This record gives sequence, structure tokens and C-alpha cells, in this order.
Amino acid sequence: MSLSLFALQVVNGVEYGLLLFLVASGLTLIFGVLGVLNFAHGSFYMLGAYLAWWISQRTGSLLLAILVGVPVMVLVGLVVERLAIARLYTRDHLSQVLLTYGLVLLFNELQRGLFGNEVHGVATPKALAWTMRLGEAQTWPAWRAFTALACICIAAAMRQVVLKTRFGMRVRAGASNAEMVEALGIDVRKLFATLFSAGTALAGLAGMLAAPLTTVYPGMGEGVLILSFVVVVIGGIGSIKGAFVGALLVGLADTFGKVLLPGFASAMVYAVMAAVLLWRPRGLLGPAFEGR
Amino acid sequence: MAEPLLETVGLTRRFGALAAVDGVSLAFQEGRVHAVIGPNGAGKSTFLNLLSGELRATSGQIRFRGEDVTRATPDRLSRIGIGRSYQTANLFPGLSCVDCVWLAAQSRLESSMRFFRPAERYAEVGVRAAHALEASGLTQRHATMAGHLSYGEQRQLEIAMMLATDPSLLLLDEPLAGLGHDEALRVMELLRKIARGRTVVLVEHDMDAVFSVAAAVTVLVDGRVLVTGSPAEIRASAAVREAYLGEEQP
Amino acid sequence: MRRRVLLLVAAAALGAVALTGDRFWLQFLGKAMIGCILAISLDLLVGFTGLVSLAHSAFFGLAAYVLAGLTNGLGLVNPVLTLPISVACAAIAALIIGWLSLRATGVYFIMVTLAFTQMLFYVFNDSPALGGSDGLYVQSRPVEGRAAAYVVIWVALVLVYLLLSRVLRAPYGRVLEGIRGNEQRMRSLGFPTRRYKLVAFVIAGALAGLAGYLDATLYGFVNPAQLGWRQSGLILVTVLLGGRGTLYGPALGALLLAFIEHYGERVTEHWNALVALLVIAVVLFLPRGLAGLVPGASRG
Repeated sequence: MSLSLFALQVVNGVEYGLLLFLVASGLTLIFGVLGVLNFAHGSFYMLGAYLAWWISQRTGSLLLAILVGVPVMVLVGLVVERLAIARLYTRDHLSQVLLTYGLVLLFNELQRGLFGNEVHGVATPKALAWTMRLGEAQTWPAWRAFTALACICIAAAMRQVVLKTRFGMRVRAGASNAEMVEALGIDVRKLFATLFSAGTALAGLAGMLAAPLTTVYPGMGEGVLILSFVVVVIGGIGSIKGAFVGALLVGLADTFGKVLLPGFASAMVYAVMAAVLLWRPRGLLGPAFEGR
Repeated sequence: MAEPLLETVGLTRRFGALAAVDGVSLAFQEGRVHAVIGPNGAGKSTFLNLLSGELRATSGQIRFRGEDVTRATPDRLSRIGIGRSYQTANLFPGLSCVDCVWLAAQSRLESSMRFFRPAERYAEVGVRAAHALEASGLTQRHATMAGHLSYGEQRQLEIAMMLATDPSLLLLDEPLAGLGHDEALRVMELLRKIARGRTVVLVEHDMDAVFSVAAAVTVLVDGRVLVTGSPAEIRASAAVREAYLGEEQP
Repeated sequence: MRRRVLLLVAAAALGAVALTGDRFWLQFLGKAMIGCILAISLDLLVGFTGLVSLAHSAFFGLAAYVLAGLTNGLGLVNPVLTLPISVACAAIAALIIGWLSLRATGVYFIMVTLAFTQMLFYVFNDSPALGGSDGLYVQSRPVEGRAAAYVVIWVALVLVYLLLSRVLRAPYGRVLEGIRGNEQRMRSLGFPTRRYKLVAFVIAGALAGLAGYLDATLYGFVNPAQLGWRQSGLILVTVLLGGRGTLYGPALGALLLAFIEHYGERVTEHWNALVALLVIAVVLFLPRGLAGLVPGASRG
């Protein structure tokens, strides 16, 4: 593999990993703090992408679509949380899996009914429609660089919020002991609703950023969802740092896998996951495995 | 003195920078009730969890009948004869009393990987379960759901389950905690009965209980052993009283 | 007692259908009964051991593909050979995947089974040699004739039900019950619980493989869509719908879902939404499933 090809895979892998991070960070927090396993998370990614297409089609601007779309996703998250997710906080795993599974089926039918079965392309904004050179033989789309940068900024912002704000403190407290947080009189309902809508918006945003690259098609959330689960397993539930590391690992593994072993690209990612599980059953950065 | 049944050597457990149990070296002689007491936060529960294998030691050793069991899993420890009862109800809420004790008794089968004969046909298990229930005074309540028992009865069930595994060493974690006066008396009587001829490590706050049944008492403070002695010695010790200052008087 | 009589009647009724020779019903109920085998075997894990596994469809599909490989590739058709081999392959896969997955607990376990299922899906979906996303035809079936296949499936269902009932009443079944109720306590009572969970996982996987073998026999066709977490999710739906932890409940759920799927397709193009709403409704309002409606029938 030539150096520039290698470099291309690395930047692609990192960019993909960063997108995955947006999705997985929401998933891991929703699970770590709210205690809910949310299969519908991939549907939010898909919904974001469709929103981006629909709005950019009518306004001609993807960036505008993103600006409008993110608040819409926040709203969607709020509605879903209040109507469905809130009922799962005290329920067992099977109920959570099946309820969110039902939501996935529902969202899929909704998408099919509203937007149809065709694949839609989304135009990259003109300002970012150029490519940059990578070494001698490769080029890299500027939109990918923009996406990667946007994800890094969001990750940095997340870090600030989680480590430096009162809200972030509650999130961290909730991640280690939700009951205690409630006992301390903090409005857990508001915390959960905020967190869930934030996670939803992040997943939706990832979909919007990915839309020009992957096109918009039915079922696009599924692959991302599964990979996000792999990221959470690797990084540990409730750990944003773990999600970051895990996402980069998975992004790189998937990208290199597609190039090196075209038939078994996906298998490579799962191999990484299996390896992690053999070594650290609680994830790389999850709660340390005390006791047995 | 004969080799102790259970012995810890420099047993330590750290949580980050905090040493909940710090270099505890104790010997538990066979056939005696040895109580471990101390003010809140002394590390008694942690110590017991280390002995039952539910927490792994950071350093130090645990020896049972001379064998190093520091790294043994809880199920292995149970199989070699260490039984444990819990402070908060740790039962099978959906099962009846007799079914809870049955499971405990079934653990003594050579293997439960038996797929074809109905469980009830294993008569020896039923016998052991019935004995354990009777010893704990729960025979009348055998059909009641574990979740529907009173607090004190749940304690009795805890003890019944422990007895059904036929342990040579009993680890009792605050068996009287949270019980009303009458219930505490009943459980206390039960403890006196089962302690006869068995080796017991008793972690308790209730001093009357401790002094009435223990042959040796160890006082833990801040994860370390302050002193070990007979109940009379401990009662008279000024150092112990000082450790408890502000807490209940021994 | 009444329940046992009802079950006998239902089993007899199902069996009697073979005598009618009705093409539609043989195919439809044959498929439904395969769903029952899947549901019952998954209930062993979900309802009796407390393990929510999304890998069930993987073992189903794997055995089906093994049969296709044996008949198409090796010319091996005889059920005396192909059945044990297919089921054994499913069991071995369950052993490996189970051993790895059970290193995780709780939600991690669920997510790991999900990932392994998808891995197997991609292996079959992306390999042209294995038929790719189109799937494979099974060139000659171990059992010829619709009625004969139906009877074989019926016998298999009855045997699976009887076998699992037996196993669950044995000491092993008690251990599973204890693990479901309070695994940590079981460990402190001396049971090496992971071993027991792994055995349950392998039994369930093998039975799912049996269902896959029968499915390939009935339809003469295998395709990757049978694997994957969506399918596993549907099996879980039948377990919840019928009532987990009862064995017969999930079988009922499977039958019900088969009817809903069939007639739903006639009613509306968006019948998936119907299933979705049903699932959501059952989770929210009928968590004990249909069996929960029968007084004193479901477990605590």
C-alpha cells in the first residue's frame, strides 16, 4: 500500500470514527445515565439525514438545513423521551430492547411513508465542494475535513460541558449513581430529558454531516447503530472518553478492513470487539472490574 | 495452638487511595465464634466481602485450612465449605422459602448438570433442605414467597440457605441489623444454636449479641486491627472505648 | 391440569392439519411451527435464565446454510446425516459465540450478541460464493413433499417442547431459575453460574439450528435476511407477546405473529407499523404477555 493510500485510509478512518463518536457518545450517555438501551438511536441518525436532504432540497443550502435541522432533532428527542423512553427507566432489558425495537420499525415505516423508498443525493455546499491533495496520488474532499473538524469541536465542547459545568457534573454523577442524584433533589426528569434530546440531536447531526457522503437511503441508520454499539462495548458504558477512543478504533478498523479484506470488512470490527472483551470485559475505559 | 481454620495475612483492599482494609492479619480458630466489631467505616463489611470472595484483595493472603484461597471465586469458596449470610435481603424473591433453601441444598450435589430426572427425585437434597428449614424455625412458612416474609423471617431464611450448604465456616454479616426487639431475640437464639460446634466470623454492631456468643473479639478501626481479645478484655479496654467515642458504648 | 389438556388439544389439532393436505395451511402452519420452535428455545434463555440474546437468528440461519452447503456442495441429503451435522454446527457456533458473549454481563451481553449476529449476517450477505444477498436454493431437500415436511416439523416441535419441559424440571432447570432470580446469590451458594448459562446458550442455539434446518427443508431456500438482528428482534417479540418464562406462551406468540404478518400484509402496505404498535403496546400495557391474561399461569 502506497504511503498516500495509507494516509487516505487513515484520514477517512479518523473522519468516520469522529462521526461515529457523535452517535456513540449519545448512546453511551443515554445508557450510562438513563439506564436505557436505545435501539432507535440509529433512526435518529437516519432522520437527521432525511431532514438534511428535505430542507436542503427546498432551500438549496445544506448548511441552512443543518442549522434548522438540529433544533428539530432536539424537539424530536424531547417528544420521544417524554412519550416512550420515560416509561422505560424502571423496566428490564427485554422491555427496553423491544420497545425501542418497536420504535425502529415505526420510524422506518414513517420514513417510508413520508419520503419514499428511493435513494437521494445531497449536494455538498459549494463553499466546501473542493478537494485537497493527499500526497501524490490521492485527494480528500474538503467536506470530510469540515465534518472531522466539526466533530472535534463538538467533542471539545462536550468535554468542557461535562467537566466544567453544573449540568456536566450532574451528568457525571448520574452516570455513576442515578438514584443518588435523585435523592439529592436534583430534577432527574429534566436532566434525563435534556440528555436524551442532546443525544438525539447529536445522532441527527451526524446523519446530516454524513448525508452528502453516503447519500440518503432507507435503513441507513442500521449499520451505524450496530457500530455504535460496538464502540460502546469497547469504550465502556457511560464513558465519553471511551466512546471517543472506541469510535476512532472502530472507524479505522472498518476503513482499513474495507480496503485490506473487501469481503470481510465488517468482520474486522467485530474481531476488535471480541479481542477487547477477552481482555477487558467491562470495556477499555468502563468502570474498573472490581471484585468478580 | 492448632492451625487456624481461616487465617488472613496482611490482607489489604484499596479503593483508589483509600485503604478500606489495611494489612489485617487475623487467625480464626476452629469451633469458635470470633466477632469482628468496630465503629462505622472501620472496614468490617469490606473485610467480610474479601473473605467470601466477592471482593478481590489488593494484597495479602487468605488461607483456609492452610490452602491459599486469596484468588478463589465466591462459588469455589462456597464449595470448599465457606458459607455466608447477607445483611440486606439477598434471596430469590419469586421463590418460596422451601425452593430458596432447596437451591442452596442442591449446590451440594456433585453436579447440577442433570437434565432428565425431576429435581424433586433427588431425595438427599430435599432432606438437607428440610433440616435447614427446621433448624431456622421456618418449617411452618415453607410455602410462603420469600418476598412476602417479614424482615426477621427473611433473616431466618438467609441463615437457612447458608446452613443448607453445610458450611464448616460461617461468615455472618450483621445478622441482627434492622430487626425489632422480638425478632432480634429470635435470630439471636438461632445464632447461638447454629454456632455450637461451628466456626463463625460474626460482624455485628449489636454488642449484647456479640458479648453473649463470641469467644474472641477483634476490633477494627480505619481498616486496621486495633486489638483482639476475649469479650471481657475488650469490654475493659480503654483504647476500644476511645475508638468508639461518639458512637455507641461497648 | 387444564393447561396440559389445552396444550394436548392444540398439539393434536396442529397435527391433524397434516391430514387435510391443504397446500396453504401446510405451508403457513409449517412456517408458524418453526417460529414456535424458535420462540420456545429462546424462552429458555430469556424467560428462564434471564439472558436477552439477539443472536438467535444467527444460529437459525447458520444451520440452514450448512444444509444448503451439504446438499449443493457435497450432494449429501439424507436427514440422518444432514440433520445432526447442521445442528452440530449451530451448537458449535453457539459455544464459541456464547463463551465470548458471556464474558460480558447485562447490557454488554445483549450488545455483544447483537454484534456477533451482524457479523454472521455480513459473512453470508457479502460472500458471492455463499449466494450473497440473494441467497441459495437448496437443490434437494431432506424431506420431499409438503405433508411429510409438515409432519416432521410437528414432531420436532412436540419433541422440543417435551425436552425443554423435562430439562426445566430437572436440577439444571432449578439452577437457571436461580440465576434468573439472583445470579450473585447463586454464585455465593457455590454454583459456577457462567457454565450453566453457557450450556443454556448452546442448547438454545442448537434448537434454533434445528428450526433453521427445518425451514430450509420446508422452503428449499436460504437467504441472509433470515439472520440479522431484525429477525432476532422478531423472535424476542413473540416471546414477550406470548409471555416469557412459560414455554407455551412464546409458542402462542409465534403463532399469533405469524397470523398478524400474513393477514396484516393483506390489510395495508404499512403492516410493519401495525406490528410496531403492537410491540409497543404489549411492552407498555401487557408485559406478562398473553400468558399473563390467564390467571395463575405466568411466573413471578
